[in-house]
Amino acid sequence: MKTRRQFVQAGSAALVGLTAKADHPIAGAFVNDNFAAGHAVRDGAPISAPKFEQRIPLVIIGGGIAGLSAAWRLQKRGFHDFVLLEMNAEAGGNARSGENEVSAYPWAAHYVPVPGSQSIYVRELFEELGVLEDGKWNERSLCFSPQERLFLYGTWQEGIEPAVGLSRQDREQFQKLEDLFAGYRASGGFTIPMELGLNQKQSALDQISFADWLRRQGIDSSVVLWYMNYACRDDYGSLAAETSAWSGIHYFSSRPKEDPGPLTWPEGNGWITRQLLKRVGARVRTNQLVRRVQSQGTKYKVQTSDTEFQTDAVIFAAPTFLAPYLIEGFPHLKTFQYSPWLTANLTLERPPRGADTGERAWDNVIFNSPTLGYVDATHQTLRTHVDRTVWTFYWALAQDPPAASRKFLLEKDWSYWKEAILQDLEQVHPDIRNCVSRIDIMRMGHAMARPSVGAIFSPERRILTQRHDRLFFANSDLSGFSIFEEAQFRGVQAADRIMQLLR
Amino acid sequence: MTPVFFISVLLISACGLIYELVAGTLASYLIGDSVFEFSTIIGCYLFAMGIGSALSRYIHRGLVHRFIWIELMVGLIGGFSSALLFLAFAYTQAFSFLMYFIVIVIGILVGLEIPLLMRIVREQFNFQDTVAHVLTFDYIGALAASLLFPIILVPKLGLVRSALFFGIVNAVVALWSTYIFASQLGARRLLRGACSLVLVLLATGMFGAKKITAAAEDNIYADEIILSRETRYQHIVLTRFKDDIRLFLNSHLQFSSRDEYRYHEALIHPGLSAIPAPRSVLVLGGGDGLAIREILKYPEVESVTLVDLDPEMPRLFSSNPMLTALNQRSFLSPKVHVINADAFQWIDSDPHSFDFIAADFPDPTSYALGKLYTTAFYRAAARHLSEQGFMVVQSTSPLFARDSFWCIANTIKAAGLKTYPYHLYVPSFGEWGFVLASRRGYLPPKTLPANLRFLSVQTLPTLFQFPPDMAPMPMPVNTLNDQILVRAYDRDWKDISH
Repeated sequence: MKTRRQFVQAGSAALVGLTAKADHPIAGAFVNDNFAAGHAVRDGAPISAPKFEQRIPLVIIGGGIAGLSAAWRLQKRGFHDFVLLEMNAEAGGNARSGENEVSAYPWAAHYVPVPGSQSIYVRELFEELGVLEDGKWNERSLCFSPQERLFLYGTWQEGIEPAVGLSRQDREQFQKLEDLFAGYRASGGFTIPMELGLNQKQSALDQISFADWLRRQGIDSSVVLWYMNYACRDDYGSLAAETSAWSGIHYFSSRPKEDPGPLTWPEGNGWITRQLLKRVGARVRTNQLVRRVQSQGTKYKVQTSDTEFQTDAVIFAAPTFLAPYLIEGFPHLKTFQYSPWLTANLTLERPPRGADTGERAWDNVIFNSPTLGYVDATHQTLRTHVDRTVWTFYWALAQDPPAASRKFLLEKDWSYWKEAILQDLEQVHPDIRNCVSRIDIMRMGHAMARPSVGAIFSPERRILTQRHDRLFFANSDLSGFSIFEEAQFRGVQAADRIMQLLR
Repeated sequence: MTPVFFISVLLISACGLIYELVAGTLASYLIGDSVFEFSTIIGCYLFAMGIGSALSRYIHRGLVHRFIWIELMVGLIGGFSSALLFLAFAYTQAFSFLMYFIVIVIGILVGLEIPLLMRIVREQFNFQDTVAHVLTFDYIGALAASLLFPIILVPKLGLVRSALFFGIVNAVVALWSTYIFASQLGARRLLRGACSLVLVLLATGMFGAKKITAAAEDNIYADEIILSRETRYQHIVLTRFKDDIRLFLNSHLQFSSRDEYRYHEALIHPGLSAIPAPRSVLVLGGGDGLAIREILKYPEVESVTLVDLDPEMPRLFSSNPMLTALNQRSFLSPKVHVINADAFQWIDSDPHSFDFIAADFPDPTSYALGKLYTTAFYRAAARHLSEQGFMVVQSTSPLFARDSFWCIANTIKAAGLKTYPYHLYVPSFGEWGFVLASRRGYLPPKTLPANLRFLSVQTLPTLFQFPPDMAPMPMPVNTLNDQILVRAYDRDWKDISH
């Protein structure tokens, strides 16, 4: 019975072949664009006179995870006299999310790896949110099975690290790197938050690129190098050749090799943003583009498009590269670089068929694609039956220098990117065009901090993390790379320093 | 004329081999023993060709005319051979007979082709050259076909369309033969008309190939299909053979009416009878109403809530007379409330508590279904269990899927419940297992509802004893983020089928 059935199921697919391609229109647009505001700041567009004036002890600039975490910390310690200014219509920054009739979905960051013992503030937050209960991670917040898969040699394998069709040489090189990373992990120099373990003795690793370091270790397997480059594109938006060896090693050595999988939610880290906003939302003001920060004796004047705030202290949680454009008399910054990204949310009316025989995982990556693949927003559903879903597609434009990629990102229209995304997905889902009804695309010129050679141990970075006046920087880019844990750590630290000063 | 003639030889030779390969491949797919099937098919085919060659001596006149008719017959029979065999497998018991019949008929016709062709052209070449050239191209055609078949035809066209495609090739050869041998033919119009008709038939077959295979697929069940319905969630099929009604969901057997009483009595009574005064019962899955039939044997039960994803199941099992006879019209009881929802989502949001919960889900064949067997699910379900309450979980076979069974038992235990696993024999399923779970201890019931066919107060305790080949396994627990059960289940059943 079983064999007959299996035969006809398998046979009919071969017999019938592919059906004709139906073309139905795919809707969509660029969303959440803030190029205009960004360029107004860059080009020094005239600042209109403020309509309102307000005195307040503390202003937090930027409503991403760093700013929200500073607010969370302040409020928990009983400090309520502050305002948080967010330039966009919604707070969240890289942890923003959207929602349609099918599902909530992330616009950028979509997970937090299970935090280690050193990430005390992350653990504290997760305990507060019920994600960590009695020392155990809530099963519902951990990424469901199957977690990750890679499309390699015409088929899907479990996990993103290539494991099928490896030659002996590939295996040896993977093993060699694993041993090296284990050594660096044991050294204690690669931690999250990174500041806690940072060790001057390892600064030489920041002076060469990850690609050079790999070459010196004798790594030349194309499969191993693909995976190393994938890691850099995934966390830094850059290729191994543009990433410092210290940062490449950090990706692999800062976390245990085996863990129960990342913490994630349908809307990605937007879930965390929502929980933080429940706590501090009353002090968040959106659509407040800060245009100028002036120091006046021991006070600061923070001017937005409509209000002038007189304040005793400032937490600058917006991307640090904006500082020279906003803070009067601030020196030019040299080491802060950012990678341009594109994310897209695709609404699917039905799951793809055809070549996709396995069960879809949460994170789906295509070997040798310039993109980072897609994450399924309904993966974390408790339902057993899902027909409509939303995929978040990630693409770090890592191939060219950031400035060129940024220009390219801005030049091309929505149709161009829509086609590029569909063509990438067609490699693994030939009928994807018949499934997708909508593609919304978000372009981010300065999406993630990029830890280039020299960035981590640069004096500029060190000076900005150790200021002693009443203007503290808190963006995750102070750590060299944009991950949730770093953003939260910087935010909490800035909040603690402010409270020391103002109390 | 010469090159065209030799191309014809090459093509008809390729066609002949393709039909033979199609039959061999189909037989080894469907019947399984590929060595035997290929050997016998090649043997029969070559022997039939011999018969064809022998018969060729009885054709004296109208060689071209007859050659063209033979081509058309080969094209038609060979072209549709694959589709016919598919349908025969699905609808009749006569697959093997039809297959050898088709192979022999095609063999005879193909056996006639080459001798006839050689005789047709014998005036133009000397005998020595004719034999050499015709046989050379015959063998080249065979090589081409044998390479084309596995590399391009099967993967790109499939078996049905490959055969049809070469049927068209035969018909085209026939058609062009009416031109190249025009001088040796009388009435060409009729022949060309026949060629066109065969071409149209085969081309229609090419386009309709999808329908043919779908029809075949629907009819692979052993017994007569009395109902087949594609719902939004699943494919429901009911079959009947004499008094045996079987339900299949997505081709997985759910019950056989001959022995389902064993399964459903064992699912419900060991737990429900052990509760002093059960009032509310929850059934998850079980849209056939058979579990409810057993539950309604307890007059003290005031309400039965059934949560099933697919509204079509309760609808079917409350309206079809044959099916309501089976579940004794259980859905029509005023005590029964049907909710169409995804079980996990529903149980996560519903506030009610129940004295007895029966989780009768399909086996964990996918990660989607596997969620219903996780610690997260059992924790959520346990919140709905009253202090006195019991939950029973359909837990696959402790014999065929021993790891899976004990993984489910351990997972329920990890969710904070005491577990009492048991098993029984259901002929249509084999050895099958359940896990009873509760916050309190379990004592087998002293009384059971009257008129049970399988369970008795005396034998019920023996269900809880596991012989060594089904004894507990030290399996890790199944969680949402690490569904080891789905992998274990896959492994367990693969081990059996190999």
